[in-house]
Amino acid sequence: MSNYLLDMRGIVKDFNGVKALDGIDLKVQAGEIVGLCGENGAGKSTLMKVLSAVYPHGTWQGEIFWEGKELKAQTIRETEEAGIVIIHQELMLVPQLSVAENIFMGNEITLPGGLMNYAAMYKRAEELMAELKMPDVNVALPVYHYGGGHQQLIEIAKAINKKAKLLILDEPTSSLTKAETAILLDIIRDLKRKNVACVMISHKLDEVAAVCDTVSVIRDGTHVGTRPMSEMDTNEIITMMVGREIKNLFPREEHPIGEVFFEARNVTCLDVNNPARKRVDNISFKLRKGEILGIAGLVGAGRTELAMAIFGCYPGQYQAELWLDGKQIKVTSPRDAVTQGICLVPEDRKRHGIVPLQGVGANITMAVLQDYAKYGSIDAEAEMAQIQKSIARMRIKTATPNLPIKGLSGGNQQKAVLSKMLLPRPKVLILDEPTRGVDVGAKYEIYKLMFELVKDGLSIIMVSSELPEVLGISDRVLVIGEGQLRGDFINDGLTQEQVLTAALGQTAELAA
Amino acid sequence: MTTTPTSKKLQRFFSQYKILTLLFAIVVIWAFFGQISDGAFLTPRNFSNLLRQMAITGMLASGMVFIIISGEIDLSVGAMLGLLGGVAAIMDYTYHVPMAVTVATVIVLGVLIGLWNGYLVAYARVPSFIVTLSGFLAFRGILLGITKGTTVPLESPGLVLIGQGYLPIMFGNILAIVVFVLLAVLAFKTRAGRAQHGLAIAPMWQDTAKLAAVAVMIAGFVITLNQYEGIPVPVLVTLIILGVFSFMANKMVFGRRIYSIGSNIEATRLSGVNVRAIKLVVFAIMGLMCAFAGLTTTARLSAASPSAGNLGELDAIASCYIGGASSRGGVGTVYGALIGALIMASLDNGMSMLGVDSFWQMIVKGSILLLAVWVDVVSGAGGDR
Repeated sequence: MSNYLLDMRGIVKDFNGVKALDGIDLKVQAGEIVGLCGENGAGKSTLMKVLSAVYPHGTWQGEIFWEGKELKAQTIRETEEAGIVIIHQELMLVPQLSVAENIFMGNEITLPGGLMNYAAMYKRAEELMAELKMPDVNVALPVYHYGGGHQQLIEIAKAINKKAKLLILDEPTSSLTKAETAILLDIIRDLKRKNVACVMISHKLDEVAAVCDTVSVIRDGTHVGTRPMSEMDTNEIITMMVGREIKNLFPREEHPIGEVFFEARNVTCLDVNNPARKRVDNISFKLRKGEILGIAGLVGAGRTELAMAIFGCYPGQYQAELWLDGKQIKVTSPRDAVTQGICLVPEDRKRHGIVPLQGVGANITMAVLQDYAKYGSIDAEAEMAQIQKSIARMRIKTATPNLPIKGLSGGNQQKAVLSKMLLPRPKVLILDEPTRGVDVGAKYEIYKLMFELVKDGLSIIMVSSELPEVLGISDRVLVIGEGQLRGDFINDGLTQEQVLTAALGQTAELAA
Repeated sequence: MTTTPTSKKLQRFFSQYKILTLLFAIVVIWAFFGQISDGAFLTPRNFSNLLRQMAITGMLASGMVFIIISGEIDLSVGAMLGLLGGVAAIMDYTYHVPMAVTVATVIVLGVLIGLWNGYLVAYARVPSFIVTLSGFLAFRGILLGITKGTTVPLESPGLVLIGQGYLPIMFGNILAIVVFVLLAVLAFKTRAGRAQHGLAIAPMWQDTAKLAAVAVMIAGFVITLNQYEGIPVPVLVTLIILGVFSFMANKMVFGRRIYSIGSNIEATRLSGVNVRAIKLVVFAIMGLMCAFAGLTTTARLSAASPSAGNLGELDAIASCYIGGASSRGGVGTVYGALIGALIMASLDNGMSMLGVDSFWQMIVKGSILLLAVWVDVVSGAGGDR
């Protein structure tokens, strides 16, 4: 019937009544490279999970035709056997195993009795490496000997070995250097010549423009449009990606903004695994008293790393010079930061925010517990009085203050983590994705609280992936792209297009 | 459909009243041995012996439970106990050092060794399993070296009392009253504190009933022991440790930090807590407990044997797990660990009394440990994270 390799029609996927995908179509021809673009949370990854049967057939509505036949896969293995291979943003290699062992993982060539046939696997692996123009790789060496770029290509070798007809690359270049990216893009073009199709999910529109034949844009789970790349430019893609109005979800309130109060100079963070790569590249900025500074940028741009460096908890090598209230301060640990008046509400609530087994109350007073103690012995009643005050102020819904916090909803957990970081009375509050995984009602309350706080003279740095949130709340917006400061805007009539253009903008333009 | 709520209820009962489950287990074990031994197991004399046997494992378990709650492990405590007990005997017998100096030196040495372990774990970031496994070997080696593999007797009668002495009956009674008054004062201070901060107060009868139950337990305990010779010194030390450590765990900043480190060390660190210092102190406390246990062991046998405390770490660890500590950290109580130690000691004592072969004793203890943790997992107490 259709002459498409892949034809997804009217895909609908909802999570507990919230539609993540609302009738998406995606068509790919053999040997075609399709760019899939959309904002954070638009539904790109969800769509790919539907395709690769991470969400099995039956958990979503719509139809998928693969080589003209309907595909009803239940497991990833089935889709891989059909020839659909997905390469995730976080690579799925086992660092301690050799390159060859990784390529053949789950697919080993064996001798009778289940013995590994290393000779055959090494030979085939070497062929694959040659095919990918990496003949220098020693396939018997553990994968950790090789950098991010090589590892990405090893993943691709693994996919080719599975006889992939369609390769899905989720943000393939997000952890690569410029040179490595160029090699990868060449390989993708090479594969196209061998009739392997490719869906590339990427925020880097210049790369999309360079390799893709067709671009599909999705927004809020709906299909906005699919057009040949030759007929459009990156600006049009951005317009298609944004194209929505901000409704009055943001209770913006006027507040006075004072003098410069906090300053970060020359913040640089090196990648933990690949120190040659700068996650944050020499960023400096100023923050005024009572100001809400939004930090925008795409996932992986270095926003969280910047926040961590200021809070003294970036895991790799970094440097940062900080000034607070006219004096230079030294922050080498979160403890220093909290003592100096800088608090951080982290992005990953589960890993960095809550202590799951402890009560809501114990979580709230964690940073200031010593203030309720004499000779190390806690005045439990004074502590409980404060806990009840915090719970009432933030309207945290919990049965009792002693309930382990893991039993609360995401929004209430977030409010508790926020309370925790307000008790040390910070002067600068850093909020990293403050409303991620938080329902609309709790979001609104968190915004209200932010305005209350800045009216009291607190300064807030808000890192957020949601552009409407950044534009709806911030007084000023910093845009970060690939670890560099790409723009510093007063939020007065600022549009999503402007921010996105700055975030995606090529470095070359800035240099010029 | 109907089975789910029932099993849920049972689950909740088990995890909420874990202490009752454990006490119930003790009652069953005691009733069993009492029955089979024609009551010999349940005499005040055997009760006194049983508690004295349990004291050493109990001291180790009290320190170990903090280590396990904080998400670490210490395999070196048996060897450390042996080494410290050996040092005590050598100072006493070979060098005739005054008793007070011997005790003080051993205690300081214990804390220093604990600090060394803690430094390696918290600051040098060597996994605690490795640090303490090497201690397990090395400390025992040092002990064999300094004793030349022989048993060193004790000379000072004062030192022997640490392990074999009893508290005079009069003191026992006074102590019981003091403890009760202390608990009553604490309960009423809590009420006053809650009133002062405008918090809800539990009805008076509830607190009174609790105190009455406590009074009965204390009285029963002291009266039983007084029927023999009085409260044994090691048992007294263990009870003091129980009181102090429970206070630390529940009422002190330090205790709260131990739990929070074990549950999520990253989130704790990002709240501005010095997590390394906490770990260091936890290991130092473990060292202190090894010093107490070492002195008690040597005093009880009136001699330091090169094999003293052999595999003591495993009894201590097993006691913690039986007492409800989670192998993933963040969960556990001091009293739970002590009840665990009591269960282990009861099994040892009862089976020895019946003349059960020691191989059977090992099999039974191993099975009980497995069963206890299995029930814990199934009841969902240490379940999802």
